[in-house]
Amino acid sequence: MPIDLFLPNQFLIILLSGLLAALAASFLGAFIVVKKMALVGDVLSHVALPGIGLALLINIDPIYGAAAFLLIAAFGTWFIEKKTTLSPDAIIGAFFTATLALGVLLVPNEELFESMFGNLFAVRFYDAIVIVIVSIIIFVLALILSRRLTLSIVAPDLAKSIGSKPDASYLGFLLLFALSVALGIKLIGSILMGALTILPAVSARNLSWSLKSFLSFSVILGVFMTGLGIIIASVFNFPPGPTIILSGVVFFVISLIFKKHD
Amino acid sequence: MPHLDYEHHREHEHENQKHSPAPILDVRDLSVSFGKQEVLKDISFEVDEGEIMAIIGPNGAGKSVLFRALMNLISYDGEIKWREDVQIGYVPQKLFEKAELPLTVKEFFILKSKNLFFKDKHLVESISHELKSVGLEPEILNQQLVNLSHGQFQRVLIAWAILRHPNVLLFDEPTAGIDVAGEGSIYNLLHKLQNERGMTVLIISHDLNIVYRYADKVLCLNKENLCFGEPKKALTSEQIERLYGESAFYHHAH
Repeated sequence: MPIDLFLPNQFLIILLSGLLAALAASFLGAFIVVKKMALVGDVLSHVALPGIGLALLINIDPIYGAAAFLLIAAFGTWFIEKKTTLSPDAIIGAFFTATLALGVLLVPNEELFESMFGNLFAVRFYDAIVIVIVSIIIFVLALILSRRLTLSIVAPDLAKSIGSKPDASYLGFLLLFALSVALGIKLIGSILMGALTILPAVSARNLSWSLKSFLSFSVILGVFMTGLGIIIASVFNFPPGPTIILSGVVFFVISLIFKKHD
Repeated sequence: MPHLDYEHHREHEHENQKHSPAPILDVRDLSVSFGKQEVLKDISFEVDEGEIMAIIGPNGAGKSVLFRALMNLISYDGEIKWREDVQIGYVPQKLFEKAELPLTVKEFFILKSKNLFFKDKHLVESISHELKSVGLEPEILNQQLVNLSHGQFQRVLIAWAILRHPNVLLFDEPTAGIDVAGEGSIYNLLHKLQNERGMTVLIISHDLNIVYRYADKVLCLNKENLCFGEPKKALTSEQIERLYGESAFYHHAH
């Protein structure tokens, strides 16, 4: 979809929504990587698909169906991890991949490609505004949660010993992550959303020397790869989702060169 | 020299007892089970203010579980009564298996802040004070946790625990990784904290020499309470043999 169909300020709003969704996703992605739940994060995003399918069936905006399913799945992940000693990777890998299969059956063909791979340029003005606002809220809440979350990842017992509740921080984090994935679906789709959260963080990990630098690099790289991806996609008329991910991979390769050998 | 310290400490304790005769910690018939597996059974002991109590026992004896119960992190049967003004600092055995997180020492301390996001000036000021009291230079603040030596890391964990001056310290000693010279100075440090701040210290220890030298009380644990009291009286060679089995006894008695 060529951009000259849009008013210039509309394109700016859409670009902004992409950048802010990336900001929230890449900040949360840093914790996904640290907690070594990259697979969980990736597979969790597939749960969006049956939600989109159901939303289309009952004729509401797919983003709400996706958000509802993702929030339930995030809560389920938290609950399974809390109640069992089984590895969440195994349970969730099996369970959520089934939802991907279900989603492919539920979502009509013409919507399927867009749900899985997204199309930022198809985002309407109103959607873009919602994405911008909700992304900012997610980012601010994640920022507030980050100290507690870090401590509960590094040392859950220490966190409990000072009276904070690691379980609660983790649940809050998963719910924010689910919302952020829901926002990203219109942007780059459910399949690629996992990559948008992970890529900036793993690249940032190669460059950083402290928590602050790690989180900052993650956010900067996430925003940068998304911006570059959107611009390249609009210039060459590529689908934006894959273009964003490929520009992220380029940044990752570059970060490997700078990786500190420790 | 250790003997003199010991005497001095007993006097100190008597003074405290005049003001507050109630023990700082009173544990009665504590039992913990994970599912059907009984991990601790009918443990009873008490700790007075300013004492160092060592907890010893073989691997899997439930020592760390006891700490978790004392901090109310797990559910248990029986009674754990801390005095009301108690604030606990906790030194875990380790933090993480493999660090994916490039956390600096300073950032690690800031995680203890009650402020969720904004800078905690009071905390930042007391960090260097606590570092000094565990014998670390402020330069260490900008190093990454993963790059510290075992000894430095132990001290950072202690400094973290004593930040904001708790009156009880729970110290879960690492099983390996600290050389003997390093170990000695860690115990001197705990002893110093006990003397200077009147801290009550509960320590899970793997070294009987340390227990004889520093502890006022010892609790021998192997799921149940095998002995409790002053190390020299409670920790007879028969008890040690019962606790660890014969082979371990020879190993420890060098």
